[in-house]
Amino acid sequence: MVTDVRTAEADPPWEGLHGSERYAVCLHAARTGNRRALDTLVEDLTPLVWHVARGNGLPRAVAEDVVQTVWLALISKMNDVSEPKALASWLITTTRREANRVRGKGSAQLALTDEMAETLPSTQPQPEDEALRVDRDDRLWRAFAGLTQRCQALLRLTVLAGRAEYRLVAEAMRMPHGSIGPTRARCLNTLRERLDTEGGGG
Amino acid sequence: MTKTQPSGGQAHPDDETMLAELDRMIDDFDPPPAGLVERIQFAIALEDLDIEVARWEHGDALAGVRGGDPGTITFTVNDLTVMINLTRIGENNRIDGWLVPAGEHSVEVRVAEFGSSATTSDEGGRFVLDAVPRGTTQIIVQLDGPPARTVVTPTVLL
Repeated sequence: MVTDVRTAEADPPWEGLHGSERYAVCLHAARTGNRRALDTLVEDLTPLVWHVARGNGLPRAVAEDVVQTVWLALISKMNDVSEPKALASWLITTTRREANRVRGKGSAQLALTDEMAETLPSTQPQPEDEALRVDRDDRLWRAFAGLTQRCQALLRLTVLAGRAEYRLVAEAMRMPHGSIGPTRARCLNTLRERLDTEGGGG
Repeated sequence: MTKTQPSGGQAHPDDETMLAELDRMIDDFDPPPAGLVERIQFAIALEDLDIEVARWEHGDALAGVRGGDPGTITFTVNDLTVMINLTRIGENNRIDGWLVPAGEHSVEVRVAEFGSSATTSDEGGRFVLDAVPRGTTQIIVQLDGPPARTVVTPTVLL
């Protein structure tokens, strides 16, 4: 049966691949003009770029522009990314550079806490269990938003490490590999303290 | 030593628990904006990928002033500045633009799902596009050179 020839098109070469292998194959294909490969990269890696931009203290609206700028920069420099497997790393580095550039022009002091509080969901009637969980999440998020920018960035990248690669966290934070653990432990301790003081106990 | 007591009721969740909670929350509390992936895919769907990326000069955006009347929007890359001013006319926008340094260059305005409109700036670098549909908008300026250059902006919602 020849119902629709186009759906019989072979799976793209990155199908079934994950992480840096997948990005490398996509980037190779994108360099030869494969739009689908480029769109796949944008879909896979935009959350990473977004959280790096936000972890560097940018308000949401500014982070959105920075994320776009980073992707446009990638397509204009697609052939300059010398190591395709390190694409995620390139994106993280470029995002941090853009974030610093944008921040350097604006006010030095960002109203991080207020800005993040805006992202809290409005209160709506909830079943009790759900309400308790939401309340706990709210407090945890507020405590998180009160951490230093470096702690927020590290914790964000840590949880994202399951989605990207652990090694990238060290590179992005420009930290020696072994010092992530202790630094992260200190950030988490501060987070616990903030939860205690602001939440009135567990 | 890990204590294996039932979870719940602990005032001090351990590191792994807290990270797991943050992992779960981060996408709920601070997700990428809806449609961002699609806007980026639109922005990079360009015929010519040999581009220079103009950046939105934020200034006020960092102070939290944005939205509502966009007024004048400025993009810059290296020596080129693209300024646009919007006038809302019915369902559409009239775009008054100004390129610095001045010169006759072709200017294209792409609007997602509406195709694009093109014009040429005058000797003074000014250009006008009437009846541009509102939506996710990107501006592309072709500088004849030499060397020929293509400057693109990120998309903005106009």
